[in-house]
Amino acid sequence: MLPENLTAVVARNETWTGTSATEPYEAGWAREAVVFVRALKEPKGPLPKARIEISADGMHWCHEGSEFDLPAAKDAVTFQRISHFGNFLRVAASLPNGSEITVLVTIHLKA
Amino acid sequence: MTQLDDMRRAIRENDPALSRFDPLPRIICLDDFDRGMCGWTQLVGNYEETLDAMLPGYAQHSHAMLSTLPNWDFGSHGGVDGSYALKIATRPKKGAQNVAIKRLTFRKAGPIRLEAYFTFKPEATELALSETDIRSFGFLYDLQIGDTSGPGDRVMPHLRFLNAQDGQHAQKWQFKRKTTPIKPIGTAGKTITHYHLAPTDWEDLPGGEQRLCYNEIPTKVNWHYLRFDFDLAAMQATHFQVNDRVFAMDGFDCIRIPAMKNLWCMLNLAFFAETDTDKRAFAYLDSVCLSGDF
Repeated sequence: MLPENLTAVVARNETWTGTSATEPYEAGWAREAVVFVRALKEPKGPLPKARIEISADGMHWCHEGSEFDLPAAKDAVTFQRISHFGNFLRVAASLPNGSEITVLVTIHLKA
Repeated sequence: MTQLDDMRRAIRENDPALSRFDPLPRIICLDDFDRGMCGWTQLVGNYEETLDAMLPGYAQHSHAMLSTLPNWDFGSHGGVDGSYALKIATRPKKGAQNVAIKRLTFRKAGPIRLEAYFTFKPEATELALSETDIRSFGFLYDLQIGDTSGPGDRVMPHLRFLNAQDGQHAQKWQFKRKTTPIKPIGTAGKTITHYHLAPTDWEDLPGGEQRLCYNEIPTKVNWHYLRFDFDLAAMQATHFQVNDRVFAMDGFDCIRIPAMKNLWCMLNLAFFAETDTDKRAFAYLDSVCLSGDF
Protein backbone atom coordinates (compact mmCIF):
# COMPACT_ATOMS: atom_id res chain seq x y z
CA MET A 1 0.00 0.00 0.00
CA LEU A 2 1.23 3.51 -0.74
CA PRO A 3 2.21 5.47 2.37
CA GLU A 4 -0.36 7.94 3.75
CA ASN A 5 -0.12 11.43 2.29
CA LEU A 6 -2.49 14.16 3.42
CA THR A 7 -3.20 17.78 2.57
CA ALA A 8 -4.92 19.34 5.59
CA VAL A 9 -6.25 22.89 5.43
CA VAL A 10 -5.89 24.00 9.04
CA ALA A 11 -6.78 27.70 8.69
CA ARG A 12 -8.96 29.07 5.90
CA ASN A 13 -9.69 32.77 5.56
CA GLU A 14 -8.69 33.43 9.16
CA THR A 15 -7.53 36.91 10.04
CA TRP A 16 -4.58 36.96 12.39
CA THR A 17 -3.89 39.88 14.72
CA GLY A 18 -1.82 39.85 17.90
CA THR A 19 -0.74 36.35 18.97
CA SER A 20 -2.43 33.91 16.62
CA ALA A 21 -2.06 30.23 15.82
CA THR A 22 -3.67 27.45 13.84
CA GLU A 23 -5.74 24.89 15.73
CA PRO A 24 -3.70 21.94 17.07
CA TYR A 25 -3.19 19.28 14.41
CA GLU A 26 -2.26 15.69 15.23
CA ALA A 27 0.14 14.18 12.74
CA GLY A 28 2.15 11.61 14.69
CA TRP A 29 1.84 9.17 11.81
CA ALA A 30 3.76 11.52 9.47
CA ARG A 31 7.53 11.62 9.14
CA GLU A 32 7.61 14.95 7.40
CA ALA A 33 5.50 18.02 6.84
CA VAL A 34 5.53 21.10 4.67
CA VAL A 35 3.49 24.05 5.86
CA PHE A 36 2.30 26.58 3.28
CA VAL A 37 0.87 29.98 4.21
CA ARG A 38 -0.91 32.07 1.58
CA ALA A 39 -2.19 35.59 2.19
CA LEU A 40 -5.78 35.79 0.97
CA LYS A 41 -5.95 39.58 1.34
CA GLU A 42 -3.38 42.37 1.26
CA PRO A 43 -1.60 42.19 4.65
CA LYS A 44 -1.46 45.32 6.81
CA GLY A 45 1.54 46.62 8.74
CA PRO A 46 4.90 44.99 9.45
CA LEU A 47 4.78 41.21 9.55
CA PRO A 48 6.78 39.10 12.01
CA LYS A 49 8.18 35.64 11.22
CA ALA A 50 5.80 32.73 11.66
CA ARG A 51 7.03 29.92 13.88
CA ILE A 52 6.40 26.19 14.10
CA GLU A 53 5.24 24.95 17.48
CA ILE A 54 5.00 21.40 18.78
CA SER A 55 3.25 19.92 21.78
CA ALA A 56 2.95 16.70 23.77
CA ASP A 57 -0.74 17.16 24.50
CA GLY A 58 -2.14 19.84 22.21
CA MET A 59 -2.40 22.25 25.15
CA HIS A 60 1.17 23.14 26.15
CA TRP A 61 3.30 24.39 23.27
CA CYS A 62 7.02 24.70 22.55
CA HIS A 63 8.76 26.66 19.81
CA GLU A 64 10.17 23.93 17.54
CA GLY A 65 12.89 26.27 16.27
CA SER A 66 11.75 26.79 12.68
CA GLU A 67 10.79 30.29 11.62
CA PHE A 68 9.71 31.55 8.23
CA ASP A 69 8.37 34.70 6.60
CA LEU A 70 4.68 35.38 6.43
CA PRO A 71 3.58 36.22 2.86
CA ALA A 72 4.01 39.94 2.28
CA ALA A 73 1.33 40.43 -0.39
CA LYS A 74 -2.05 39.07 -1.39
CA ASP A 75 -1.66 35.59 -2.95
CA ALA A 76 2.01 35.40 -2.01
CA VAL A 77 2.97 32.05 -0.51
CA THR A 78 5.64 31.05 1.98
CA PHE A 79 6.52 27.63 3.33
CA GLN A 80 8.49 25.73 5.91
CA ARG A 81 9.73 22.13 5.90
CA ILE A 82 9.50 20.23 9.17
CA SER A 83 10.54 16.79 10.34
CA HIS A 84 10.78 15.00 13.67
CA PHE A 85 7.88 16.84 15.25
CA GLY A 86 6.25 14.19 17.43
CA ASN A 87 2.49 14.48 17.24
CA PHE A 88 0.83 17.88 17.70
CA LEU A 89 1.81 20.62 15.28
CA ARG A 90 0.73 24.23 14.75
CA VAL A 91 1.81 27.47 13.08
CA ALA A 92 1.91 30.57 15.27
CA ALA A 93 2.81 34.23 14.88
CA SER A 94 2.85 37.27 17.13
CA LEU A 95 1.78 40.31 15.14
CA PRO A 96 2.48 43.83 16.42
CA ASN A 97 -0.38 46.22 17.10
CA GLY A 98 -2.00 47.37 13.85
CA SER A 99 -0.68 44.47 11.76
CA GLU A 100 -3.05 41.98 10.21
CA ILE A 101 -2.92 39.08 7.78
CA THR A 102 -5.70 36.85 6.43
CA VAL A 103 -4.30 33.38 5.85
CA LEU A 104 -4.84 30.04 4.22
CA VAL A 105 -2.60 27.58 6.07
CA THR A 106 -2.10 24.11 4.61
CA ILE A 107 -0.10 21.24 6.07
CA HIS A 108 1.17 18.54 3.69
CA LEU A 109 2.04 15.39 5.57
CA LYS A 110 3.77 12.18 4.48
CA ALA A 111 4.20 8.91 6.34
CA MET B 1 -32.04 -16.48 5.80
CA THR B 2 -30.95 -18.10 2.54
CA GLN B 3 -27.99 -20.40 2.15
CA LEU B 4 -26.12 -17.48 0.58
CA ASP B 5 -26.86 -15.32 3.65
CA ASP B 6 -25.56 -18.08 5.93
CA MET B 7 -22.40 -18.47 3.88
CA ARG B 8 -21.83 -14.72 3.72
CA ARG B 9 -22.28 -14.42 7.47
CA ALA B 10 -19.88 -17.30 8.16
CA ILE B 11 -17.20 -15.73 5.95
CA ARG B 12 -17.64 -12.30 7.54
CA GLU B 13 -17.61 -13.62 11.09
CA ASN B 14 -14.30 -15.28 10.34
CA ASP B 15 -12.81 -11.85 9.58
CA PRO B 16 -12.13 -9.87 12.79
CA ALA B 17 -12.37 -6.55 10.91
CA LEU B 18 -15.92 -7.39 9.79
CA SER B 19 -17.26 -9.63 12.52
CA ARG B 20 -17.98 -6.68 14.79
CA PHE B 21 -20.29 -5.23 12.16
CA ASP B 22 -23.63 -6.55 10.87
CA PRO B 23 -23.51 -5.24 7.30
CA LEU B 24 -26.14 -5.65 4.62
CA PRO B 25 -25.11 -7.96 1.73
CA ARG B 26 -22.95 -5.41 -0.14
CA ILE B 27 -20.27 -3.45 1.70
CA ILE B 28 -19.98 0.02 0.16
CA CYS B 29 -17.03 0.95 2.36
CA LEU B 30 -15.33 -0.36 5.47
CA ASP B 31 -13.27 2.53 6.80
CA ASP B 32 -10.77 1.60 9.44
CA PHE B 33 -8.72 4.68 10.25
CA ASP B 34 -5.67 2.54 10.87
CA ARG B 35 -5.52 2.58 7.06
CA GLY B 36 -5.61 6.37 6.74
CA MET B 37 -8.32 8.97 6.16
CA CYS B 38 -10.39 6.58 3.97
CA GLY B 39 -12.02 9.44 2.05
CA TRP B 40 -13.22 11.45 5.05
CA THR B 41 -12.61 15.16 4.64
CA GLN B 42 -13.69 18.64 5.70
CA LEU B 43 -17.20 19.91 5.15
CA VAL B 44 -16.36 23.18 3.43
CA GLY B 45 -19.16 25.67 2.89
CA ASN B 46 -20.21 26.98 -0.51
CA TYR B 47 -18.80 30.25 -1.84
CA GLU B 48 -18.35 32.24 -5.04
CA GLU B 49 -15.66 34.85 -5.79
CA THR B 50 -14.65 35.15 -2.12
CA LEU B 51 -14.39 32.87 0.89
CA ASP B 52 -16.06 35.68 2.85
CA ALA B 53 -19.34 34.46 1.31
CA MET B 54 -19.14 31.22 3.29
CA LEU B 55 -21.62 30.97 6.16
CA PRO B 56 -19.88 31.21 9.56
CA GLY B 57 -21.14 27.75 10.51
CA TYR B 58 -19.02 26.28 7.73
CA ALA B 59 -16.12 28.73 8.00
CA GLN B 60 -15.29 27.31 11.45
CA HIS B 61 -14.77 23.78 10.10
CA SER B 62 -11.29 22.32 9.91
CA HIS B 63 -9.67 19.08 8.84
CA ALA B 64 -10.22 15.84 10.74
CA MET B 65 -7.08 14.09 11.98
CA LEU B 66 -5.68 10.62 12.41
CA SER B 67 -5.34 10.43 16.17
CA THR B 68 -4.05 7.94 18.71
CA LEU B 69 -6.19 9.75 21.32
CA PRO B 70 -3.10 11.00 23.15
CA ASN B 71 -3.55 12.24 26.70
CA TRP B 72 -1.26 14.30 28.88
CA ASP B 73 -1.63 11.94 31.87
CA PHE B 74 -1.35 8.43 30.37
CA GLY B 75 -0.40 8.86 26.70
CA SER B 76 -2.04 7.34 23.65
CA HIS B 77 -5.36 5.63 24.17
CA GLY B 78 -5.59 4.00 20.74
CA GLY B 79 -8.63 2.66 18.92
CA VAL B 80 -10.79 -0.46 19.18
CA ASP B 81 -8.28 -2.66 17.41
CA GLY B 82 -5.41 -0.46 16.29
CA SER B 83 -3.54 2.74 17.00
CA TYR B 84 -5.61 5.28 15.05
CA ALA B 85 -9.05 6.82 14.99
CA LEU B 86 -10.49 9.73 13.01
CA LYS B 87 -10.66 12.77 15.28
CA ILE B 88 -13.12 15.63 14.73
CA ALA B 89 -12.13 18.59 16.93
CA THR B 90 -14.09 21.80 17.46
CA ARG B 91 -12.56 25.13 18.27
CA PRO B 92 -12.50 26.16 21.95
CA LYS B 93 -15.60 28.34 21.83
CA LYS B 94 -19.04 27.54 23.23
CA GLY B 95 -21.30 26.26 20.46
CA ALA B 96 -18.43 25.57 18.03
CA GLN B 97 -18.93 22.63 15.70
CA ASN B 98 -16.84 20.57 13.34
CA VAL B 99 -17.75 17.96 10.76
CA ALA B 100 -16.05 15.17 8.81
CA ILE B 101 -17.76 14.10 5.60
CA LYS B 102 -17.53 11.38 2.98
CA ARG B 103 -19.10 12.06 -0.41
CA LEU B 104 -20.52 9.20 -2.50
CA THR B 105 -23.43 8.49 -4.81
CA PHE B 106 -25.71 5.46 -4.72
CA ARG B 107 -26.35 2.89 -7.45
CA LYS B 108 -29.64 1.54 -6.13
CA ALA B 109 -32.30 3.37 -4.15
CA GLY B 110 -32.71 0.66 -1.54
CA PRO B 111 -31.77 -0.10 2.05
CA ILE B 112 -28.43 1.16 3.37
CA ARG B 113 -26.87 0.64 6.80
CA LEU B 114 -24.39 2.89 8.58
CA GLU B 115 -22.44 1.32 11.43
CA ALA B 116 -19.64 2.92 13.44
CA TYR B 117 -17.62 2.65 16.60
CA PHE B 118 -17.43 6.12 18.14
CA THR B 119 -16.60 8.01 21.28
CA PHE B 120 -16.26 11.65 22.38
CA LYS B 121 -14.65 13.71 25.10
CA PRO B 122 -13.65 17.29 25.89
CA GLU B 123 -10.10 18.56 25.74
CA ALA B 124 -8.64 17.76 29.16
CA THR B 125 -7.74 21.33 30.11
CA GLU B 126 -9.06 20.91 33.66
CA LEU B 127 -8.54 18.28 36.34
CA ALA B 128 -12.28 17.63 36.48
CA LEU B 129 -14.56 15.06 34.87
CA SER B 130 -15.99 17.70 32.51
CA GLU B 131 -18.86 15.40 31.50
CA THR B 132 -21.10 18.32 30.53
CA ASP B 133 -18.52 20.15 28.40
CA ILE B 134 -19.46 18.36 25.17
CA ARG B 135 -22.75 19.54 23.74
CA SER B 136 -23.25 16.79 21.20
CA PHE B 137 -21.97 14.07 18.95
CA GLY B 138 -23.99 13.33 15.86
CA PHE B 139 -24.19 12.14 12.29
CA LEU B 140 -26.18 12.82 9.15
CA TYR B 141 -26.81 11.78 5.60
CA ASP B 142 -27.24 14.19 2.71
CA LEU B 143 -29.25 12.36 0.05
CA GLN B 144 -31.03 13.09 -3.18
CA ILE B 145 -33.06 10.91 -5.54
CA GLY B 146 -31.76 9.92 -8.99
CA ASP B 147 -32.30 12.28 -11.93
CA THR B 148 -35.02 10.15 -13.54
CA SER B 149 -36.64 8.72 -10.44
CA GLY B 150 -38.47 11.81 -9.24
CA PRO B 151 -40.40 13.68 -8.20
CA GLY B 152 -38.54 13.69 -4.91
CA ASP B 153 -36.53 15.68 -2.48
CA ARG B 154 -33.11 16.30 -1.12
CA VAL B 155 -33.34 14.50 2.21
CA MET B 156 -31.04 15.00 5.19
CA PRO B 157 -31.56 12.67 8.13
CA HIS B 158 -29.80 14.10 11.22
CA LEU B 159 -29.32 12.51 14.62
CA ARG B 160 -27.32 13.87 17.52
CA PHE B 161 -26.68 12.71 21.05
CA LEU B 162 -27.37 15.86 23.05
CA ASN B 163 -24.94 15.26 25.87
CA ALA B 164 -25.32 18.64 27.57
CA GLN B 165 -26.87 22.02 26.95
CA ASP B 166 -25.79 25.04 28.97
CA GLY B 167 -24.17 22.80 31.56
CA GLN B 168 -27.18 20.51 32.03
CA HIS B 169 -26.45 16.84 31.37
CA ALA B 170 -29.20 15.96 28.85
CA GLN B 171 -28.07 12.57 27.43
CA LYS B 172 -30.71 12.08 24.75
CA TRP B 173 -30.93 11.55 21.01
CA GLN B 174 -32.44 14.29 18.88
CA PHE B 175 -33.35 14.74 15.22
CA LYS B 176 -34.02 17.63 12.90
CA ARG B 177 -36.68 18.49 10.34
CA LYS B 178 -35.69 22.08 9.53
CA THR B 179 -32.64 23.76 8.07
CA THR B 180 -31.94 27.48 7.79
CA PRO B 181 -33.49 29.44 4.88
CA ILE B 182 -31.79 28.72 1.56
CA LYS B 183 -29.59 31.64 0.57
CA PRO B 184 -28.13 32.33 -2.87
CA ILE B 185 -24.34 32.76 -3.04
CA GLY B 186 -22.68 35.13 -5.52
CA THR B 187 -24.15 36.36 -8.77
CA ALA B 188 -23.80 33.45 -11.20
CA GLY B 189 -27.05 31.86 -10.02
CA LYS B 190 -25.37 28.47 -9.60
CA THR B 191 -24.68 28.25 -5.90
CA ILE B 192 -26.84 28.29 -2.79
CA THR B 193 -26.19 27.61 0.87
CA HIS B 194 -27.99 26.74 4.09
CA TYR B 195 -26.75 25.63 7.50
CA HIS B 196 -28.41 22.37 8.41
CA LEU B 197 -26.38 22.09 11.63
CA ALA B 198 -27.71 25.34 13.08
CA PRO B 199 -28.37 24.97 16.82
CA THR B 200 -32.09 25.60 16.31
CA ASP B 201 -34.90 23.15 15.54
CA TRP B 202 -33.54 19.99 17.16
CA GLU B 203 -36.38 17.79 18.45
CA ASP B 204 -36.21 14.99 21.00
CA LEU B 205 -36.40 11.49 19.55
CA PRO B 206 -39.32 9.89 21.43
CA GLY B 207 -37.84 7.42 23.92
CA GLY B 208 -34.37 8.64 22.96
CA GLU B 209 -32.92 9.12 26.45
CA GLN B 210 -29.75 7.09 26.85
CA ARG B 211 -27.06 7.03 29.51
CA LEU B 212 -23.79 6.27 27.72
CA CYS B 213 -20.68 5.03 29.45
CA TYR B 214 -18.30 7.85 30.33
CA ASN B 215 -15.29 7.33 32.51
CA GLU B 216 -14.23 9.01 35.73
CA ILE B 217 -11.61 11.44 34.46
CA PRO B 218 -11.62 13.55 31.28
CA THR B 219 -8.93 11.55 29.49
CA LYS B 220 -10.53 8.07 29.50
CA VAL B 221 -12.98 7.03 26.82
CA ASN B 222 -15.02 3.94 26.00
CA TRP B 223 -16.03 3.04 22.45
CA HIS B 224 -19.71 2.84 21.48
CA TYR B 225 -21.43 1.03 18.62
CA LEU B 226 -24.07 2.68 16.46
CA ARG B 227 -26.21 1.41 13.61
CA PHE B 228 -28.59 3.50 11.50
CA ASP B 229 -30.66 1.90 8.73
CA PHE B 230 -32.24 4.00 6.03
CA ASP B 231 -34.30 3.12 2.98
CA LEU B 232 -33.31 5.23 -0.02
CA ALA B 233 -36.46 4.16 -1.90
CA ALA B 234 -38.89 5.37 0.77
CA MET B 235 -36.41 7.96 2.11
CA GLN B 236 -37.27 6.81 5.64
CA ALA B 237 -35.21 5.63 8.60
CA THR B 238 -35.93 2.03 9.56
CA HIS B 239 -33.68 1.23 12.52
CA PHE B 240 -31.48 3.06 15.00
CA GLN B 241 -29.37 1.34 17.59
CA VAL B 242 -26.62 2.50 19.96
CA ASN B 243 -24.94 -0.19 22.04
CA ASP B 244 -27.70 -2.34 23.56
CA ARG B 245 -30.56 0.10 22.86
CA VAL B 246 -32.79 0.05 19.78
CA PHE B 247 -34.88 3.18 19.36
CA ALA B 248 -38.33 3.35 17.78
CA MET B 249 -38.14 5.55 14.68
CA ASP B 250 -41.87 6.23 14.20
CA GLY B 251 -41.44 9.77 15.51
CA PHE B 252 -38.29 10.46 13.46
CA ASP B 253 -38.17 12.53 10.32
CA CYS B 254 -35.57 14.24 8.15
CA ILE B 255 -34.87 17.66 6.74
CA ARG B 256 -36.60 17.59 3.36
CA ILE B 257 -35.95 20.36 0.84
CA PRO B 258 -36.58 20.53 -2.92
CA ALA B 259 -34.23 18.45 -5.06
CA MET B 260 -31.34 20.46 -6.47
CA LYS B 261 -30.27 20.50 -10.09
CA ASN B 262 -26.79 19.12 -9.45
CA LEU B 263 -27.06 16.55 -6.64
CA TRP B 264 -28.64 13.46 -8.24
CA CYS B 265 -28.06 10.14 -6.41
CA MET B 266 -26.02 11.96 -3.78
CA LEU B 267 -25.04 9.82 -0.80
CA ASN B 268 -23.02 11.90 1.64
CA LEU B 269 -22.43 10.83 5.20
CA ALA B 270 -21.00 12.98 7.96
CA PHE B 271 -20.21 12.92 11.65
CA PHE B 272 -19.98 16.00 13.84
CA ALA B 273 -19.10 17.32 17.28
CA GLU B 274 -20.29 20.40 19.18
CA THR B 275 -18.87 21.91 22.34
CA ASP B 276 -20.96 23.39 25.13
CA THR B 277 -18.09 25.37 26.72
CA ASP B 278 -15.04 27.37 25.67
CA LYS B 279 -13.17 24.07 25.44
CA ARG B 280 -12.50 21.88 22.40
CA ALA B 281 -14.87 18.94 21.88
CA PHE B 282 -13.38 15.82 20.32
CA ALA B 283 -15.41 13.16 18.53
CA TYR B 284 -13.57 10.01 17.46
CA LEU B 285 -14.46 7.32 14.96
CA ASP B 286 -12.57 4.07 15.21
CA SER B 287 -14.22 2.62 12.12
CA VAL B 288 -17.24 3.09 9.89
CA CYS B 289 -19.01 0.47 7.78
CA LEU B 290 -21.54 1.51 5.14
CA SER B 291 -23.42 -1.31 3.46
CA GLY B 292 -26.35 -1.71 1.12
CA ASP B 293 -28.82 -4.28 -0.15
CA PHE B 294 -28.17 -4.44 -3.90
